[in-house]
Amino acid sequence: MSVLSNPSTSSAALTPAPRASSIDVPGRNRSLARRRLGRTLIFASMILMAVVMLYPFAVMILVSFKTNAQYLIGHGSSTQTWRQINANLPVWQELWNSTVVCTLSIAIILVIGVMAGFSFAKLQFRGGNVVFLGIVSAMMVPLQAILIPEFVNIAKTGLTNNYLGAVVVYAALGTPFSIFLFTTYFRRIPDELIEAGIVDGLGYWGVLWRLALPMALPAIATVTVLQFIQIWDDLLVGLLFLQNPGERTITVGLAALAAGHTTSIPLLMAGSLVSALPAMIVYLLFQRFLVRGLTMGIDR
Amino acid sequence: MAEINFDRVVKVYPGGNTAVQDFSLQVADGEFMVLVGPSGCGKTTALRMIAGLEEVSDGTISIGGRVVNNVLPKDRDIAMVFQNYALYPQMTVAQNMGFALKIRNVAKDEITRRVAETAKILRLSEYLDRRPKALSGGQRQRVAMGRAIVREPQAFLMDEPLSNLDAQLRVEMRTEISRIQRLLGVATIYVTHDQTEAMTMGDRVAVMRGGVLQQVATPEDLYDHPANSFVAGFIGSPPMNLLSATVVEVEGALSARFGDQSVAVPGHYRESHHLSEYVTRPLLLGVRPEDLVLATPGVEGRFSATVTLREALGSEILAHLNFGGEDAIVSDEVAAASPGAHSSRIVARLGARAQVLVGERLELTLNPERLHFFDTSTGVTLARTR
Amino acid sequence: MSLSASLSASTNARRRPQSSLLVKRRRRVGVLLVVPALVLVGLLIVYPIAQAVYYSFTNWDGLTTQWVGPSAWVQAFHNPTMWTALKNNAELLLSVPFALGIPLLVAVMLHQRVAGWKIFRSIYFLPTAISWVVIGLVAEHFFAYSGTLNSLLSDIGLSSVHTNMLGQENEALIALGITFIFSMIGTNTMLFLTGLATLDPSLEEAARIDGAGAWRIFRHITLPHLSRFIQLAFVMTVISAFSALFSLIFVMTGGGPGYSTTTMEFLVYQTGFNQSQFGTAALYGIILFVITALVGVVQLRLIGAKDS
Repeated sequence: MSVLSNPSTSSAALTPAPRASSIDVPGRNRSLARRRLGRTLIFASMILMAVVMLYPFAVMILVSFKTNAQYLIGHGSSTQTWRQINANLPVWQELWNSTVVCTLSIAIILVIGVMAGFSFAKLQFRGGNVVFLGIVSAMMVPLQAILIPEFVNIAKTGLTNNYLGAVVVYAALGTPFSIFLFTTYFRRIPDELIEAGIVDGLGYWGVLWRLALPMALPAIATVTVLQFIQIWDDLLVGLLFLQNPGERTITVGLAALAAGHTTSIPLLMAGSLVSALPAMIVYLLFQRFLVRGLTMGIDR
Repeated sequence: MAEINFDRVVKVYPGGNTAVQDFSLQVADGEFMVLVGPSGCGKTTALRMIAGLEEVSDGTISIGGRVVNNVLPKDRDIAMVFQNYALYPQMTVAQNMGFALKIRNVAKDEITRRVAETAKILRLSEYLDRRPKALSGGQRQRVAMGRAIVREPQAFLMDEPLSNLDAQLRVEMRTEISRIQRLLGVATIYVTHDQTEAMTMGDRVAVMRGGVLQQVATPEDLYDHPANSFVAGFIGSPPMNLLSATVVEVEGALSARFGDQSVAVPGHYRESHHLSEYVTRPLLLGVRPEDLVLATPGVEGRFSATVTLREALGSEILAHLNFGGEDAIVSDEVAAASPGAHSSRIVARLGARAQVLVGERLELTLNPERLHFFDTSTGVTLARTR
Repeated sequence: MSLSASLSASTNARRRPQSSLLVKRRRRVGVLLVVPALVLVGLLIVYPIAQAVYYSFTNWDGLTTQWVGPSAWVQAFHNPTMWTALKNNAELLLSVPFALGIPLLVAVMLHQRVAGWKIFRSIYFLPTAISWVVIGLVAEHFFAYSGTLNSLLSDIGLSSVHTNMLGQENEALIALGITFIFSMIGTNTMLFLTGLATLDPSLEEAARIDGAGAWRIFRHITLPHLSRFIQLAFVMTVISAFSALFSLIFVMTGGGPGYSTTTMEFLVYQTGFNQSQFGTAALYGIILFVITALVGVVQLRLIGAKDS
């Protein structure tokens, strides 16, 4: 499962095996030299790749420490952009908005996902498989396909005037995946464990909250991290379903600022960095849960 | 504490598969009852029906005189030990053991006291703060036992609790479980496929096959008086030899013919085993391996066979023997009723110093007082019920 | 669909008199636990699909609705803008091989575990954490007239090729595609690396002892082992190409110049929210839905074929 966090399993894969030193055949030296050359080439390519992948971060940092004028002439640096950032982009308010929207949506996604996942995995009711397939297929529906009716429906309820508009849409979009992941996860819990709980005196409700839920912590972490990054980084839902500018998430705020076309690039880069940092930190801390979630279902 | 009663219990799975048929069994208060049989014989299903984990299709199950068909598991006051222990991974040993009490709102002090007491019995006291992951197989097994014991239930249900342990530990835990059960005196139903476990642990043993109860008896009775050829072949290791034979009467004397051999049958079997009705008819002759002995020269009723395999076990030698004559494979009908029946092969349990060489021909006699006869087509013993 | 399924579940349970108390409880709790999910997904995903189908036959503009019927669809298919968007989508699919090939190469390199590979791994994955809005903004800087690309070009003596890709009708889509490839690298590398880690190293060693070279090992052992992961990455990448480019387009080009970077998903947004043609936008949404559903079905086929 979490192979990336435990690389020792196959670390011997292509490193020179011990038998290389056992006998000194002619040609051994040549092949060793070739291998060394190969590894040097690989190392060089990996450095090059690292430069490419770090490019966005370098740009964000370097450009954000310029004034717009300095950016246009191409040299010089200043902390002016950072000092004035809040005047042009209400970063603190928008970070807070992002946090609120993420927290509420993820809470709904987790609760609904845990309940339904446990039911599909362990409580086999008639028709359950069909319902499960239906919900999992909903994973494949892109928001754009239902964007218009969705927007109209939510707008009619008035939810677009507060956080809840975006929250319910994020929750609906995240729930199918969450259910899929929890179902897969709960299926691995042996039936005997649940029966032990039943014999010990629990009902199925109790089994879910007191036994299954504590066992599902890794799956909860996976869903949380994946959904956090997804929702934090999303533009479309926030753009349409958070009509009140004071409730914009940081990503929406940034995109709205960019769409203005009059803004300074250094300011956009500073804002980008601010918006990217929380997701990056979450990502670096919980990398392994992310990988687990991505490959869930294929790694049976 | 209470007795457990199965009354004509039937279990049919959705899809029509019958797991248990017309099953009646009384387990007395404090009794250690073992359900034994090959896999798929319905023993686990029977156990799970007592626990309430499996619905009863027909008939009734009662615990302590109360019919429990429609009682939830939690209200049956039984405790169960699962094959893979089913310990809650996120809880410590103490929490695992106390969980059922906690659910029933037993006071904290009381839980602590009872857990500590049980841990002492099971020699788990120093592991109470560990999690199951940090325990060995044997320790996990004991925690699973402890979880059941702490509850002081009316009955223990154990589903192959030793099958995940290595051989040596299994022997150790066998005596341990017996000791604890006797100490607590709680009715216990223990499911296993291992006849050695059944024989060493059970006060009584119920042998099942294909959803049907074959025989319920003490281990000794089961061994000495198997009710049918299946029980005869299932209990004992190596199993009883079952030979396709014919009983013939020559001048008032009975003898049994199998292969190209013939042995005399003492006259009292005529009465005790209905043998008169079976004269010249095929039947199954059962002989325990230890009831075959090397013949001293000149003794009556000898027969000879060739050694095909010699298993020296140190304390004894198992000799696999073949005698001539038609090496007829027994008919399908017989094989179905009595798996293991042969017409020309036999296993003898001989003394450790017996001179046995592969390929050599041995002269043997059989203990004439310990012969078993079974009907060929039904497998039922010919012995009159006592 | 889902509601009737749960109803029939409970009536079925009632028809079987021998269900034990425990089984009844199990089924009841089972149905109850699924209800919130059904309500949420039913109201916010399934129902809007039906609505979208209905709206696609109207000329709804947000205020007034009029039933148009099938001619709404005929009209849409005669609209060159939609065909432009579909063509843009098709052309963007050309980036899929790169979005798979580059990560495959990167994953295989990481799998060699040269010095510092764990640091490289983290670096390669890091962009997956940041919003495509941010990536789009950086990409805008990269492709801009005074941006990184042009200074790189002049550094290597190609200052004559001074480009303004995002401003050119025939080049903006290429810039978008390149940005898309960059955005997919982290996720797909992660997938492939996970796949490689599940590869039994003794297989490779056995092949090497048998005298197989690096290429043969890759071709005959690594690649077949990765096939399931490649399929998954392929489907995810294709679906992303159809439905995840909104952020990039929004900040990089706004769909322009002209309609040169307008894809179906962006067309839905533009038609609905810039032109207030909700009916037509819903229709485009249905087309998008059908396309992604087809990709999804292909995926299920592939997985199903593997399972059986």
